[in-house]
Amino acid sequence: MNILIPHTWLLEHLEADIEPKKLQEYLSLCGPSVERMYEREGDSVYDIEVTTNRADAMSVRGIAREAAAILPQFGVDAKLKPLTAPDVPNPSEELVLPTITENDELNKRTLCVVLSNVDRAPTPDWMAKRLTALDMQIHDAAIDITNYITHELGHPCHAFDYDKLVACGNQIIITEAEAGESFTLLDGATYTAIGGEVIFKDGTGTIIDLPSIKGTANSSVNANTKRILLLAESIDAKKVRFASMTHAIRTTAAQLMEKNADPTLAIDVIRLGVKLYREICGAKVASAVYDHFPRPNTHVAVTLTSEDLFRYLGVVIPLEEAKQMLERLECEVTIIDDSLVVTPPSFRPDLTIPADIVEEVARLYGYHKLPSKLMESAIPTNRPSGTNFTLEETVKEFLATVGWQEVYTYSMVSEAEALATGFTLEEHLKLSNPLTDDKVYLRRSLAPSLSAVLTANPMRQTLSVFEIANIYHPITNELPNEVLTLGIVSSAQYRDVRGILESLCTKLHITNFSIETEAGSSEATICFGKTQEVAGSISYSNGLTIIQIKISALVAHAQSHPTYQPQAKTAIIREDLTFKLPKKTAVGPIMSALEQLDPRITALELSTVYNENHTFTINYHDPNENLTSEQIAPLRKQLVAKVEQNWGGSLVGQLT
Amino acid sequence: MQRTLRAETGLSANELQQKYLGVNGAFTLLAKQITEIDPGDRKVAGQPLNNLKNALATAVAAANNPSVKAWVDLSLPGRRPAVGHVHPISQAMAEITKIFTSIGFTRARYPEIDWDWYVFESLNMPPDHPARDEWETFFVAHAPDEKMGQMVLTTHTSNGQVREMERLGKPPIRMINIARCYRRQQDVTHTQMFHQFEGLVVDKGITIQHLKGTLDYFAEQFYGPGTKSRIRPFHFQFTEPSFEVDFSCHLCGGTGCKFCKSGWHEVGGCGMVHPNVLRAGGIDPDVYTGFAFGWGIERTYTLKEGLAIDDIRLLYSGDLQFLEQF
Repeated sequence: MNILIPHTWLLEHLEADIEPKKLQEYLSLCGPSVERMYEREGDSVYDIEVTTNRADAMSVRGIAREAAAILPQFGVDAKLKPLTAPDVPNPSEELVLPTITENDELNKRTLCVVLSNVDRAPTPDWMAKRLTALDMQIHDAAIDITNYITHELGHPCHAFDYDKLVACGNQIIITEAEAGESFTLLDGATYTAIGGEVIFKDGTGTIIDLPSIKGTANSSVNANTKRILLLAESIDAKKVRFASMTHAIRTTAAQLMEKNADPTLAIDVIRLGVKLYREICGAKVASAVYDHFPRPNTHVAVTLTSEDLFRYLGVVIPLEEAKQMLERLECEVTIIDDSLVVTPPSFRPDLTIPADIVEEVARLYGYHKLPSKLMESAIPTNRPSGTNFTLEETVKEFLATVGWQEVYTYSMVSEAEALATGFTLEEHLKLSNPLTDDKVYLRRSLAPSLSAVLTANPMRQTLSVFEIANIYHPITNELPNEVLTLGIVSSAQYRDVRGILESLCTKLHITNFSIETEAGSSEATICFGKTQEVAGSISYSNGLTIIQIKISALVAHAQSHPTYQPQAKTAIIREDLTFKLPKKTAVGPIMSALEQLDPRITALELSTVYNENHTFTINYHDPNENLTSEQIAPLRKQLVAKVEQNWGGSLVGQLT
Repeated sequence: MQRTLRAETGLSANELQQKYLGVNGAFTLLAKQITEIDPGDRKVAGQPLNNLKNALATAVAAANNPSVKAWVDLSLPGRRPAVGHVHPISQAMAEITKIFTSIGFTRARYPEIDWDWYVFESLNMPPDHPARDEWETFFVAHAPDEKMGQMVLTTHTSNGQVREMERLGKPPIRMINIARCYRRQQDVTHTQMFHQFEGLVVDKGITIQHLKGTLDYFAEQFYGPGTKSRIRPFHFQFTEPSFEVDFSCHLCGGTGCKFCKSGWHEVGGCGMVHPNVLRAGGIDPDVYTGFAFGWGIERTYTLKEGLAIDDIRLLYSGDLQFLEQF
């Protein structure tokens, strides 16, 4: 959460002689980060990011307290000024306070006082200037005072129209809303409760406030208001967050209270509020102060040893030095033997364990002062199994080198893309809160996303893209099976695409690569290894070749190096044979069959195809002797006979 | 060639042919004398003689047949093979992996769809904690697990922290986890899917100094010599103390320029592992300490000189005009 703090306002709480630029630098190094600085009406305005654990710093006074603790570390004298909010004076008239039905589970504290004779004066210039610098709208003083003190002290308060409360029975019941009840906020927006929101009700059951979030129209100050009930409550943080998030009402008040703003501060808020109403609006105190605070914050001491500090920082910080730092943060500190016993102030509920105290000391000491060095400890050698990041990089580099483009596409797909995989929508994992319609289902295939990339680049006549990403297969009551997959979609010719896949397998030293398919089918299975494990699929349709291979199969079958084969000592005889094959004959099975005819047929490649004529280049080789023409002739005869008998093909030319 | 031969020998090609290579030439005469040498030594004499004769014959033949040079056009433009590209995010990942593995980190991979327990709760973030606001979480429409909570798309790589502690059982831990992450936001600087890298070191005696050392090492390796890191106080539920990390601007050296404004670039968060997180991973926080960091790859990568990509969505658009630049 970011907060804007004008420099001159800060100096009302901070005694320090410091340039804004320097303050920005020092605060950022040791405390809340001052992200930017603006010049507004001659004043420097800090834009400060305050982290969610530090509701205490979400105010002018909170930042002043931080600065007073940090600046002395840089040699700058600084002190937090005492707060000038006198006790609420005795009432000058006696108006009846509302009857409040408390609920100590829902609300930690209620503080209120009635003010009468409230002059609807314009917001004074000095206050308007500050609120404008914070990008706040200016109304009139009676309304703006509440915003002003919330920003100054970091605890919200609200001004009710006292007469409106009286009109409906002068009763406040702190309770939870029931589902279906409705309320209209002071900006006119109407909401229906889902049940469980903490609300104020009057005696008739009407909702008259959404406390610690925003006032309702039926009880808030309007143009005719002359008497107000100034009230500061501290609704349970989780309850505030629930209602604020449920209805998306993210006011400053809600953001402070859901982060446990300190109820102890509420008394200063009322005191300062009364002071300003009296000074600016001529208001009179018209009741005693009502204060219901059944369980004031307990202060739990945290014990920290000098060893704890050393364990985190690696340097020795004298306990006396640490004590002084913590005291500037308003902690109570005693040194007992080698330990610090630290009692944090009520506004620091974030300090509960030794590591929290270490952080306070360390940041004030200055992280920038700590040395920087690499670990000297043992290097772990227990690597995760089943992954091979180097292999993934090799695959990417290889495919890019042969001219293919790696892409990254979204893991979530549209309904149409999900259905394009052949799985039903119910067979997909679905987001319950998608941001856009095109990213709703967790994909079970990379193909639709990659095909979309080709469609999106119509200027490329042939384009081959690939991606290594997970696909997600649901499992009942378990996390899905995330299958890391190499996906390829290409508009190049099928044989070229398959050739590159074959080369990739060769590069990875994968043996026994095969593609199993029914003759004429547009889909096939890719298998690896002796057991012919299914590694993926390849398909061809509408001019696109689509390949998906499990990375785990590549990891399992890839080898870091080949199995060395001694150089052939005898000659390899190569010759071409051309067969005329009947139309629609699948060539793959012919080649597999011919390769297996005789161990001396050591390689067989399809070199050219012209109409029905298919030319194969055949290697004959015997490692033990040089093959003679007489030995090759019967092999050749076997080849021709096999093709003729099994596939009805005929040799082009004649056997000698 | 003719001219060279003449310059060297004082004879024309024809004269050389007659004098040395002809039927009655010098080589023929010498060859006849070979028979007079002891058979065992003939090789020693014969081979150099043959070599000389062949060399001269080649030179004479070349001189007699000056070749006609074909007309070639070396000014023709080249015909390029298709060049593909590894995606910039992959390039960044490879570089990051290399840097961290060189100082003993082990790369790991953990689920992208995980239980709330690993993504939030084991990281010291109880349900409904305001700190969860910072993560715009995508939820999977799936019944929650009784113990593990809801199924979510990982909003950060930090789900790998407790998982890595569980995998190893005990320190030393020095993990780098690089993965896809998801958050429910989309504009020029945010995409619903993005990438993070997460470092986790747990052992005896690990201090903030080691975190600083690791950050400085990465900064120098990734952005170039002289780049420094800086940590500032911050808050994360799963680290205590917590920090934001800045790297000094490599363009101005940290003095402040148009690119960086302040001399520093904020890259992400880190901190000392919270005792509750160590406990969730079964590690005794009284014995071990550790640090963790997790940053967006997109942000970290585009801070490199010349990579100020104005719309981060381009990375996942599949637009070839964009991707082919890398």
